Amino acid sequence: MQPGTMLKYTCPYLCNNQFAMFRKKVYLLLFLFPLLFSCRQNEAPKKTNDVIDSLQSATINEYAPRDQSPMDMSYYPLDYPVQKMNGTDSTGPVARIIYSRPHKKGRNIFGDKPESLCQYGKEWRLGANEATELELFENVNISGKNVSRGRYIVYCIPFADKWTIIFNTNLFTWGLQRDHSKDIFKVDIPVSKQIPALEDFTMVFISTPGGADLLMAWDDVKASLPIDFSK
Amino acid sequence: MNRIPALLVFFLMACHIGFSQLPLIDKSPMDMSYYPANYPMLKIQDKLTEPLVARVIYSRPQKNDRVIFGDLIEYGKVWRLGANEATEIEFFQQVKINNISLKKGRYTLYSIPYPDKWTIIINKDADTWGSFKYDIKKDIARIDIPVQKQPEKVEIFSLYFEKAPGGFAFIAAWDDVKVYLPISLQ
Repeated sequence: MQPGTMLKYTCPYLCNNQFAMFRKKVYLLLFLFPLLFSCRQNEAPKKTNDVIDSLQSATINEYAPRDQSPMDMSYYPLDYPVQKMNGTDSTGPVARIIYSRPHKKGRNIFGDKPESLCQYGKEWRLGANEATELELFENVNISGKNVSRGRYIVYCIPFADKWTIIFNTNLFTWGLQRDHSKDIFKVDIPVSKQIPALEDFTMVFISTPGGADLLMAWDDVKASLPIDFSK
Repeated sequence: MNRIPALLVFFLMACHIGFSQLPLIDKSPMDMSYYPANYPMLKIQDKLTEPLVARVIYSRPQKNDRVIFGDLIEYGKVWRLGANEATEIEFFQQVKINNISLKKGRYTLYSIPYPDKWTIIINKDADTWGSFKYDIKKDIARIDIPVQKQPEKVEIFSLYFEKAPGGFAFIAAWDDVKVYLPISLQ
């Protein structure tokens, strides 16, 4: 929504005395400031990627070169470490995912075209570099099946209409090869359209009644793995 | 009187628009290092010669033309040894640092840098953010190690492991500073 449009609708009961113009300006400023901020946030991923790319090529680090697809982690409860620091955590952490974040960079991501990066029907590491690692600090239930607390690597087989999500116990491995004898859990989840399309692959926990969805989104595709922590 | 709630509603709406984004790429991206180095890669190539011993997970700030030690990171103050979440070290077997035995498990690492030495702190409180709520009561070990100056400056903060006599070493390098913490295998 345009900030101006909003102002027009809200003005009738705000601008009814002699300070109307002054107030109008204050409201407009209060309005525009966060909106500008949100626009800047929208732009941020691209800028950051540019920075990452330029650093990648401009600096040499003999010890540990910086990854093109940087690692990230997401906790449930969301931002658990910050909550803990603030003293607002009520329980321990429940889940944590550690993954690397590839960028779209104008490529076709999910599909069956020859150039598609993640081919339909083929295994994908749900990230980049090391295999994606999920740690469950409690026993959980996913789609009616109990999954014990512990660490797993998680990978996916994308299709046009669903993703097959697989948990595997072969930990501390690089994401390109999997030992299928250690698959312990498999579930199909539907995919939906991600709007706006995401430049960077993203995994994040989103609270639901009784648990959390592990949201996985990249380009114009998203999928949610429902995790029930109440059982 | 209805203006204050109206203002609040606008502000909350605007904040909602501004902050409900999915997580962006961090300015100081996260990374991990293993001992043995490149363990996950060696594992899929069937080239492992040693069992898994340690892993560090940390975020990597960049120098960006700043003076790092003594300025951005003040001497004598506890530093989270990275950025964002506190730096986590995990041992997959029992190890010994400076004659202190450490059981397998996850620990948080901090450091107190000085011009000539760093105090490395190993603390039991995991899953935390930065060093803002650092709790000295949960310290397991504090070890002083000398600072080595290096001519080639390191732009991106780096933590990694290297083979060393009797075990391995944990190394931290940033800007013109490098420190080396020997760890023995038991």
